[in-house]
Amino acid sequence: MNHTPPLLQVRDLRVNVGERTVLRSVSLDVPAGHLVVLMGANGSGKSTLGMALAGHPSYAVQGGQALLDGQDLLQMPAHERARAGLFVSFQSPPDVPGVKNNLFIRTALNAMHEARGQEPLDAFDFLASAKKAAKELGLPEAMLGRPVNEGFSGGERKRNELLQLSLLRPRLALLDEIDSGMDVDGVRAVVALVQKLRREGTAFVVVSHYLQMIEQLEPDAVLRLDQGCIAETGDLELARGIARTGFARARAQAVEA
Amino acid sequence: MDSARADILAARAHLQQQGWVARRSEAFHHLPPPQLAHWLGSAQEDACAAPVLGGSGWTLHPLGSHAASGIQARWLDAQDAAERAELFAGLPQPGDGEAAPFAWAHRALCRLGLRLRIGATPGKEREPVWLELRHQPRAQAEAPLLVLDVDPGVRCVLIETHERAEGDCLHPVAQNLHAHVRLGAGAQLQHLRIVSPGAADSVAHHIHASLAAGAQYAQALVATCGSYHLQRNSIALQGQGARAHSAALALAGSQQIDLQTYTQVQAAHTVSQAEALVLAQGRAHAVANAHTRIAPGCDEAGVRQRLMGVPLAGSPRLILRPHLEILHDNVQAAHGATWGALPEDALFYARQRGLDEACARALIIEGMARALLERCLGSEEEGLLAQWLQGGWLSRTIGTQLQASVEVQHG
Repeated sequence: MNHTPPLLQVRDLRVNVGERTVLRSVSLDVPAGHLVVLMGANGSGKSTLGMALAGHPSYAVQGGQALLDGQDLLQMPAHERARAGLFVSFQSPPDVPGVKNNLFIRTALNAMHEARGQEPLDAFDFLASAKKAAKELGLPEAMLGRPVNEGFSGGERKRNELLQLSLLRPRLALLDEIDSGMDVDGVRAVVALVQKLRREGTAFVVVSHYLQMIEQLEPDAVLRLDQGCIAETGDLELARGIARTGFARARAQAVEA
Repeated sequence: MDSARADILAARAHLQQQGWVARRSEAFHHLPPPQLAHWLGSAQEDACAAPVLGGSGWTLHPLGSHAASGIQARWLDAQDAAERAELFAGLPQPGDGEAAPFAWAHRALCRLGLRLRIGATPGKEREPVWLELRHQPRAQAEAPLLVLDVDPGVRCVLIETHERAEGDCLHPVAQNLHAHVRLGAGAQLQHLRIVSPGAADSVAHHIHASLAAGAQYAQALVATCGSYHLQRNSIALQGQGARAHSAALALAGSQQIDLQTYTQVQAAHTVSQAEALVLAQGRAHAVANAHTRIAPGCDEAGVRQRLMGVPLAGSPRLILRPHLEILHDNVQAAHGATWGALPEDALFYARQRGLDEACARALIIEGMARALLERCLGSEEEGLLAQWLQGGWLSRTIGTQLQASVEVQHG
């Protein structure tokens, strides 16, 4: 019997955005190397979960617990959560004017290195690995020299999130609708990268409505979030059912059951 | 009495008669400059027992590997009648505008000036001429002059720096500088100005630029603060199709700075842009003025003004004043002023990638500064701006200011 605790443990997480309670009680476990798909209608709280775990100041945690490898995420400032191994991809990654992509990522990587007591990365070594990763993700090399996300299309922004994921190699990644705005090749790149990192032990929480990608990701669990609570837990069949009937029907069926 | 002496006395007499900058002056009432005696040095006489300031005034340097043989440079003594006549030849009289008292005070005190003519390097007519111009103060009160003519069709890349020399005496300097930049038809000038006075210095720099048809002038200014710091551009787009873009980055710290850009659009199909980013903290007092006048008949002129102020800590006073005066129908004009904190979404994004608060702020502020300068001078890897940025001065200076802002925050 395996007694290793899950990498991510969330218990009864309750989160307010402004005056409104968006997450009422969310609990989930994600072991290392596992992949959980989170589905839910608009406004059900999927993005709120990611932002609350990441420590966004507008998302006020009212109660509950979130542990990453036993460390209390909720007690850490945002950057320490990232350094502990949490990566949250943004649904709409913002522009960072004037900051070149390669400088941004190298600064982030060096912050991680410094936190671990490691030497900073050599600029040339970093650039070589960044170019390689960009190529694998179908991101033009020129994007590395452009300001972060400035003038990027929706798909390019998402690929840029993948590039950061690939280079930062977190312990747990929450990907919020990473497929939106992506073309077919982009979705393939998501699947390939996720599979590769999973083999290396990275755990994933993937927010998506795109069944074809969900199937390719071969999730260990599929969760349906409804009105701030985990309403259903299942496997790929749950995702297929939602894709077939929609969230309203799924909600009604769950109530009947 | 020779004509130089007569000219100096006439300027002093004019000042005595007309007085100093009026306190009600539209351009100066938010941040009134020190009184006339300060700029003429009479208030500081015998104040400094230290050796004469070590600076050598204007010095001209080759830039990188760019050889430039098309440059004519003349250092002229403004106290010698013949040289003064040559130095001031073709320059407009100070007149009676709001800033005219500075120009009269300059005439009264100017001792040395540099006239530069930039022509094409023979055999390399298509290549830009690169040069670096440094200025270091020579006296506690001084009025340096620069006249820069760029020949028609010539492209010039210029970095101009103003820093106190190491080992200088630490007595404050009052510097009333005037520079006349004249671009011939089709000439292009990329002009990066770095002005970093001592903390107790008073600095007033007046750049008068005139552009003939098809000329292009891009001026990016990076300025730190002194006890009083004025940077005033007066730009005249005189010929059809002329284009001017000025971008000013003011690292105001906890002191004072006054940025003024006055643009006269005098011809059709011209384009003018004025931008400023002011970073301030503590009890800083910073003003950014952009005033553009489009004269009648300037068909299809385009004007854009964008002013931005970011308070880093404390309660700085940031006054942003975009102003348009449009006297013709068929033009495009836009202006705006933004006063506010750093972009929260970008800050959080950087923190989610592992950067601590201080590092994220520094990265984003430097990014905003770079973006402003790149919009003006371009971002080419081999370009003037990229080469200057590689030296790390901007990063270090922003880092120092942010450190000071943390101290302000924590009292």
